[in-house]
Amino acid sequence: MTFLIKGKKSQQRVRFIKRAIAGQGSHDPSPASESLHYDQQQAQRPDFITENSKDKPAIVDDAFGASSRSVMSAKTASMIPDLFTTLPPIRDLLQTGSSRVQDETIQECLPFLKGADLNVQCNEHGVPQLDRPRHINFLHKSLRKLPAPYVAADASRPWMFYWALAGLAAMGEDVSQYRERLISTVQPIQNSTGGFGGGNGQLSHLAPTYAILLSLVIVGGEEALEVIDRKAMWKWLGALKQPDGGFQMCVGGEEDVRGAYIAAVILTLLDLPIELSRESPAWSREGGTLLTNLPEWISKCQTFEGGVSSRPDAEAHGAYAFCVLACLSILGDPHIIIPKYLDVPCLISWLSSRQYAPEGGFSGRTNKLVDGCYSHWVGGCWPLIEACLDGPSLGSPAGIQVAPLTAVGHLYSREGLIRYILCCCQDQTKRGGLRDKPSHNSDSYHTCYVLAGLSSAQHRWHFNTSATKTATGGMLNSAYQWTSEPIVEDLQIFDGADRVGTWHPVFVIPEGAAERAKEYFASKGGF
Amino acid sequence: MAPKGSKAPKARPKPPDPPKEYPTIADELLAAYQESRPYQTLAASKGIQNLTANEKACYAHAVFLETGAWRSWPAATQNEFWKTIQSEKIPIPLPKPQDLGRDTRGIEVGKYTPAEFKLYLRREREIEGLLGKTMGYLRAIMAAKEHSPRVLELTEHIISMNAAHYTVWLYRSQTLLALNSSIPAELEWVNNVALDNQKNYQIWHHRQILVEHLVQDVGSDEGKLRELGKSEVAFMKEMFDEDAKNYHVWSYRQWLVRKLDLWQKGEIEDCERLLREDVRNNSAWAHRFFVVFSNPRYCTEGSKATEFDGGIPDEILDREIEFSKAACFEAPQNQSPWNYLRGVLKKGGRKLVSLECFAGEFVKIPEKEGEGEEDVKSSHALDFLADAWAEKGEREKADRALRLLGDKYDRIRKNYWDWRRALLKSDGGGLGGIEGQFVVGAKLFGH
Repeated sequence: MTFLIKGKKSQQRVRFIKRAIAGQGSHDPSPASESLHYDQQQAQRPDFITENSKDKPAIVDDAFGASSRSVMSAKTASMIPDLFTTLPPIRDLLQTGSSRVQDETIQECLPFLKGADLNVQCNEHGVPQLDRPRHINFLHKSLRKLPAPYVAADASRPWMFYWALAGLAAMGEDVSQYRERLISTVQPIQNSTGGFGGGNGQLSHLAPTYAILLSLVIVGGEEALEVIDRKAMWKWLGALKQPDGGFQMCVGGEEDVRGAYIAAVILTLLDLPIELSRESPAWSREGGTLLTNLPEWISKCQTFEGGVSSRPDAEAHGAYAFCVLACLSILGDPHIIIPKYLDVPCLISWLSSRQYAPEGGFSGRTNKLVDGCYSHWVGGCWPLIEACLDGPSLGSPAGIQVAPLTAVGHLYSREGLIRYILCCCQDQTKRGGLRDKPSHNSDSYHTCYVLAGLSSAQHRWHFNTSATKTATGGMLNSAYQWTSEPIVEDLQIFDGADRVGTWHPVFVIPEGAAERAKEYFASKGGF
Repeated sequence: MAPKGSKAPKARPKPPDPPKEYPTIADELLAAYQESRPYQTLAASKGIQNLTANEKACYAHAVFLETGAWRSWPAATQNEFWKTIQSEKIPIPLPKPQDLGRDTRGIEVGKYTPAEFKLYLRREREIEGLLGKTMGYLRAIMAAKEHSPRVLELTEHIISMNAAHYTVWLYRSQTLLALNSSIPAELEWVNNVALDNQKNYQIWHHRQILVEHLVQDVGSDEGKLRELGKSEVAFMKEMFDEDAKNYHVWSYRQWLVRKLDLWQKGEIEDCERLLREDVRNNSAWAHRFFVVFSNPRYCTEGSKATEFDGGIPDEILDREIEFSKAACFEAPQNQSPWNYLRGVLKKGGRKLVSLECFAGEFVKIPEKEGEGEEDVKSSHALDFLADAWAEKGEREKADRALRLLGDKYDRIRKNYWDWRRALLKSDGGGLGGIEGQFVVGAKLFGH
């Protein structure tokens, strides 16, 4: 066991870092590790040795001589670009409430970005590993002790399932063990009038319905998929459809872009007809459908900043940007439908402004703070936007990929996002799980969406016009034309083992599950 | 070797004082945490090299306890380790206290006194049981479609325990309307619930239903509508005192402006008041934009926020430009007024070049590259200039501005700035030209 003690009076740091064992070939011995071995030989037991040289960290052997498994990486600090360790180059003198909390957030994140936490092992890029076992344990545990019925969090029970199952599946866990329990939990909260409530005796609501539908699709299997009363669901969607084109979240409830996105997800995943039932408030003699005026209504939600608000007239917000882009990407091919209904350059300018340095993560609105969950809500917009700019990847009949016509690459800093996620969003205690920012507790919601953001930063998505993965014909097939590939690059800041599974860019569940469900329902031909 | 600290203290860190009263539970937990790691505290305050040999050994033990490193050692070493822990009475370090979150009223639980915290835990357990019973009762009532005064009592009771049940709120509003209950009285009750539940959004939809109904009732009674508007705005001010960026409150306000025709009734002044407190409050900027550029008195109906609207009078455009310019001077690196400025120009169909001089106030770049230092007070001004120059066809200048952004002033967005540079080289020029690209793309793909 060795200590690294920086010889600066104000910065005493002790750190434990995995040792590269010579001969096992896990890492090439770098000049840094060579010098460390040298220092180790110099270090004497059983007391501390502290060298007070200015820049060179000193190595101090421990008091016990227990067989050492760690060495320090003396060069770690220099492998972290100063972009992530220093204050922004331009800062205003005027202080206000917003700038004060922003400054506090930077100060809160810096020690994590610099790898200063003495309990956390970092790689040579100053990035800790994804603590899979703890995050997996955190999510399993969240399902073990779901809130009792009727307590404050009761209405979020379906969400607890979705967040945990999606996160676990993305980390390679077998979630089929939860199938029975999920089915028995959600069956009683499905209403005969269609849709699911948040809990026992509650009205049907699109939010828990989305969470339940996706959870059932993740665990998969006929038994799970057969839980859903599709015909009643279709009728209920008709009741939610508004004459202006949007959807209410529940009958008599608020109308916002979450409703638009979720309704589109339900329609396509369950392979429902888009015709309106006569009972719908949106029904007219002109013969509109469930999709009539939906993109037009959505398009009214883009604000002067370029971002998207929950409903027309409100402020641009990251979560709604994802809902809108994903909804459009269900209704049509991204490169055609997104520019048709949104001012794309303006949207990109706003989306891009959501990423801050030194934090590296995304914020949800102008002059608000970074939050791990926007790793998905904003981060998840990028694959859709990139497909919109690139146009489709042309799949030739032989299935050979042709490079996109105008490959723009990535429009944001993947390194920044990955650093924020791995350095700042991981709860490194036994608790595990992922979080908003270091001062916040981890929870299932953040664990799910931070992992989704991590995956999105680790993979590249292609939209293929001729490569429909489900041979269904019919409507709303755009969402099934995505393929992914891992991004491999020379200078990869995260460890290979930290690559998480791919999440479908529109449905936000592990890749493949949505395609299977769609195929299952489409093969039924009608209700 | 470490110097033998001549001033090394003789005594070990003091044992914790007898039970002490702490003002908050967070303080108590933090104190317990600190007391459990005296040697880490000592090392941090004195510096490791100034510790005595014994203190160093104790410190090392404490660190191993905290990291759990001892677990990987051979059994014999572990035994020796634990012997020392016991003989030196080294306390087992507690995990760092976690944020306790907020209660249903949005108050930080960490700020409770230790006694209040005990009560809080007990109350939480009681509510679990009680809420279950009451909800069961309400379910039966809902199944029978009963809309009676006792529904109001029951829902009030449930909401006091848990305000996040959308079903309860919706059933309450249906019952209120069915019973023709006093809506102003309901609004007043809802005010208190909202103040206690900052993050709850069901309340705001409930409020929207109530006001919608009230407006129908009042009809065209101007005086009553004005009163309603005033009291609603006064209440929102209270909410903004707690959180001036509360998304639900702002969304409700935008709805209310349309509903009660509040376009010219102090909305702009209210935004200005909030912006004087915090010029970075983007919610207030967004509301101002809505109030100015959706006002049906001069705006074209259906004109989108990102579109030119020929109906906006010049003096309004000028006024908005002057307002945002003043805000840019106040804090040049604040993106809100820059976004606002671009929005105003788009609405007015004016060119960015019309404000080139203004943006230039914040950016000094030497004529030739490499000749002297540039002085950039706002990356947003530089971004603005890049587009203004592209608009004028000065592509090289624009390209240099974008390079500066990517390499120096806004490096996290380098890929974005590079993409903008690529756009410059393509036919369209600046951001405005990208639409042409889509047309080309669409043609190529046969759409």
